[in-house]
Amino acid sequence: MTLLDNILFIGKGITLTMELMFGGMLMGLILGTVLAIGKYKGWLVILINQTISIIRGTPMILQLSFFYFAIPNALNIKLSILSAGIITLGLNSSAYIAEILRAGIESLPKGQFEAAQTLQIPTWLMWKDIILPQVIRNVFPALTNEMITLLKDTALISTLGGMDLMRRAQSVAAEQFTYFAPICIAASYYYVLILLIEYVVQKIEQRGEYAQTS
Amino acid sequence: MLKLVNVGKKFAKTAILKNINFNVTKGGIVGLAGASGSGKSTLLRCIQKLERIDEGTIEYTGTSSFMFQDFQLFPHMTVFENLVYAPKKIFKNTNVEKEAFHLLEQLGLKNKAHTLPSKISGGQKQRVALARCLMMKPNILLCDEPTSGLDVATIEDVVQLLRTVHAMEVTMVIASHDLDFLTRIATRIIVLKNGIKAADIDVSELSDPINNLKVHYQESL
Repeated sequence: MTLLDNILFIGKGITLTMELMFGGMLMGLILGTVLAIGKYKGWLVILINQTISIIRGTPMILQLSFFYFAIPNALNIKLSILSAGIITLGLNSSAYIAEILRAGIESLPKGQFEAAQTLQIPTWLMWKDIILPQVIRNVFPALTNEMITLLKDTALISTLGGMDLMRRAQSVAAEQFTYFAPICIAASYYYVLILLIEYVVQKIEQRGEYAQTS
Repeated sequence: MLKLVNVGKKFAKTAILKNINFNVTKGGIVGLAGASGSGKSTLLRCIQKLERIDEGTIEYTGTSSFMFQDFQLFPHMTVFENLVYAPKKIFKNTNVEKEAFHLLEQLGLKNKAHTLPSKISGGQKQRVALARCLMMKPNILLCDEPTSGLDVATIEDVVQLLRTVHAMEVTMVIASHDLDFLTRIATRIIVLKNGIKAADIDVSELSDPINNLKVHYQESL
């Protein structure tokens, strides 16, 4: 196989890597938002804090094994590598996203909640249209970091045999008894993807810029 | 219209308001004066139900709207969106946008309709905040320090604006440490001292409102 063949073969892993990243990010955002808002409902706080603590307190590779081997084994079901990957990445990032959003919510003036209350805005509309749009703008850089971390974490799927960028690079290396070129090719793919994310985020930030004070 | 009976409020074990009683008739304008920490803002917040009272009752007919000292406009929405967002969701009538433009025109802000709050001056924000309250068609308007941080000319604008609102038969309770401003707009001034009603003055009975009130105020503190 020529260098070009290797580049193309490893490049095919982008599909799985991106599926895992976008799937994980989407699940992380939805679940993270629910966890962050749930923290403002008195009786849920202990449960949510404990869930976040467990997720943050265990290695992701262990969580991956838990969802790919342990849960299917206990429930006698079968999960694909992609599903187990998305669930693990989504759940894991939801704990971090919840904390990022919580910090963003707490940084907003209390008056924003009170203004919504005095204007009789229903609670869910207050979160959807008043609070979260401001919070997301404020924590956008932190969410970008989380997305980049998530992209790099997708490489863990290679330990289950998922044919992502990392696994394909390892596969080429094992077949050709040379590590340098395949690993460098995979690294280049990851780096270009991260540069792309940074570029898109920068454009979004420029469009959504506004002064914080009202 | 608005009736406060034996209102008391504590933060932890400290009493912030003690045994406050007064009534305001429809269309009345009551000024709440007093030093910093006397309980003016807390009393307003209690009337708006932003704080729970520990004793007594607060009753009023209709709805109330609250104008915050620091405006609390929604920074990600334009001036126009700030005005129409809540009434559109609540009243669900199609005239909301028309009313908002009319109000902005009245307040001299029509050309700022599609501007973000961060791009307008303090006086303009004040007017937007007032317009946002009026869009909710309140029976009672509660204003917390409406002249705080404004220059003399802008304070004059606020006086005129509040007089326009008064003409709409909206009852008002205004908390301010600015006695000159209060005597120009309020028909009655209640002075608070350490959470207690220290004086209740009918402005129309004063021969020289500003100076008489200052004497009353000094005596009550």
